[in-house]
Amino acid sequence: MGNVATAKRKVPALPDLFEWAEDGLRMQSAKCSSCNTYFFPAAHAQHRPECSREGVEKVLLSNKGTLATYTIQHYMCPPPFKTLGDITPYGLAMVEFPEGISVAGLIVESDLEALKIGLEMETVSYTVSHDEEGNDVITWAFRVVK
Amino acid sequence: MRDVYIVGVGMHPWGKFENKIFTQLGEVAVAEALKDADITWDKIGAIMSGILIYGGNAGHLSGQYIESVFGETGVPVVNVYNACATGSAAIRMAHNSIAAGETDTALAVGVDISPKGFLTAKSKDPKADRDVLRWQMAGMPNPVYWALECRKRFEKYGDTEDVLADIKVQLSQYGSKNPNARYKKIYTREQVLGSVMVCDPLRLFEICATSDGAAAVILSSDPKTIARANKPVRIAATTMGSAIYGDPTIRISALSAPSKAEAPLLSESYSASQQAYEKAGIGPEDIDILELPDNSSWHYLQYLETCGFCGEGQAAKMFSDGLTKIGGKVAVNPSGGFSSFGEAIGAQAIWQVVEASNQLRGRCGERQVKDAQVAMAQTYGLMGNSGTTILTI
Repeated sequence: MGNVATAKRKVPALPDLFEWAEDGLRMQSAKCSSCNTYFFPAAHAQHRPECSREGVEKVLLSNKGTLATYTIQHYMCPPPFKTLGDITPYGLAMVEFPEGISVAGLIVESDLEALKIGLEMETVSYTVSHDEEGNDVITWAFRVVK
Repeated sequence: MRDVYIVGVGMHPWGKFENKIFTQLGEVAVAEALKDADITWDKIGAIMSGILIYGGNAGHLSGQYIESVFGETGVPVVNVYNACATGSAAIRMAHNSIAAGETDTALAVGVDISPKGFLTAKSKDPKADRDVLRWQMAGMPNPVYWALECRKRFEKYGDTEDVLADIKVQLSQYGSKNPNARYKKIYTREQVLGSVMVCDPLRLFEICATSDGAAAVILSSDPKTIARANKPVRIAATTMGSAIYGDPTIRISALSAPSKAEAPLLSESYSASQQAYEKAGIGPEDIDILELPDNSSWHYLQYLETCGFCGEGQAAKMFSDGLTKIGGKVAVNPSGGFSSFGEAIGAQAIWQVVEASNQLRGRCGERQVKDAQVAMAQTYGLMGNSGTTILTI
């Protein structure tokens, strides 16, 4: 993670949802400086009523947060979800970031039996397919911090 | 504003009807409602119809298609979609149109034929439609959202898997006595706990299916029409709510939620029910029958709290103490609920009002709640949609 050579071989499955930084994958949010609300996805504004809606800027969320809640999904999600194989059972999390927004996503590279609300989580990439050039097509995901 | 009464109700039983088209289901429900009201089609002064989202152009113009079956009369026909609260919107518009004096008698109708297999994204636009993202990027079918909230309850209040299972057991007992239910089998706790885990902690039998069905309600303020009706039911309030900023619920199709709560969980349903209590001058303590949206056992618990039937964290105890049984403090889902019917998106909110009004009219046979005077139907639609209807007799 964070390695430039590695990053080049990872292609987001969809744009504008996350970016790469020194410390790995970061969720792409936007913050309204008038009502202090964070949005995800960034384009989906959710202002406080009466907000002037002035001063919305793109910001990357921290790369770590805490596990607010989770579930373990026991059957494969239908398309358009696409993965390299059947990944069931797979974990899904809401991770609370220090900025005050919680984001949903897959849980990977973690012991699902040991999940517990309050665990420290980090944002990582997860390969869902390969493109024609052999690049990893990725989505965002969360991993329990070891 | 004039008082508005339910004078006729009808429905097509819930199930899967692969060889029928939606107008055929709708025809059954509307014909039954006309017969119940003992009026002819020409008395219908407005039609408010739930949109059938998987039905293409016809589904989006369901009201016109249904009108043409009975004969086009030139009256206003409005088609509406508010997710699983679609029928609430149709009833509210029919009610308000009559109350305001635009028309004397109106029809609210909803039909749904759900697609085969899983529900999934309805567009391919990941920029405008977050619904695409949650499927494609996170693999999150609807029940996942409920499981995420249910897990929070387990952590916060100590609710257990046994309670989730027992809710299904109770609803299956009621559904077995409802001839219009799709599922009539009675389950035991062991059978429910033995069903497949779908998304921990929710099991297959604790999550509702998707069904086909149709329901219709005829409303009127016309004194002659009311006088003809067999036990007309007064609409004390019919409201809709949307979400409130700061609601911490992870809403279906969203990928984020505020971490800090500044509004109640399921704020759209809180809003709809509070508006209804205020308008009706009736509170949860006055209600004999509650039809709530039990999309899962989690919903059953959460809605008792969201709508103020008990305090926060008290729903499992209220249920386990038997207060929500037929014969208890408030009979919850004596119909058998979505658990016994399954969801039929555009129709279910109207069906809930049909069930609630049938109870007040004493038509429910083995599942009849004795001496019921006040009933409430509460709906829940994804992305901040909810409706509440309070009925009295």
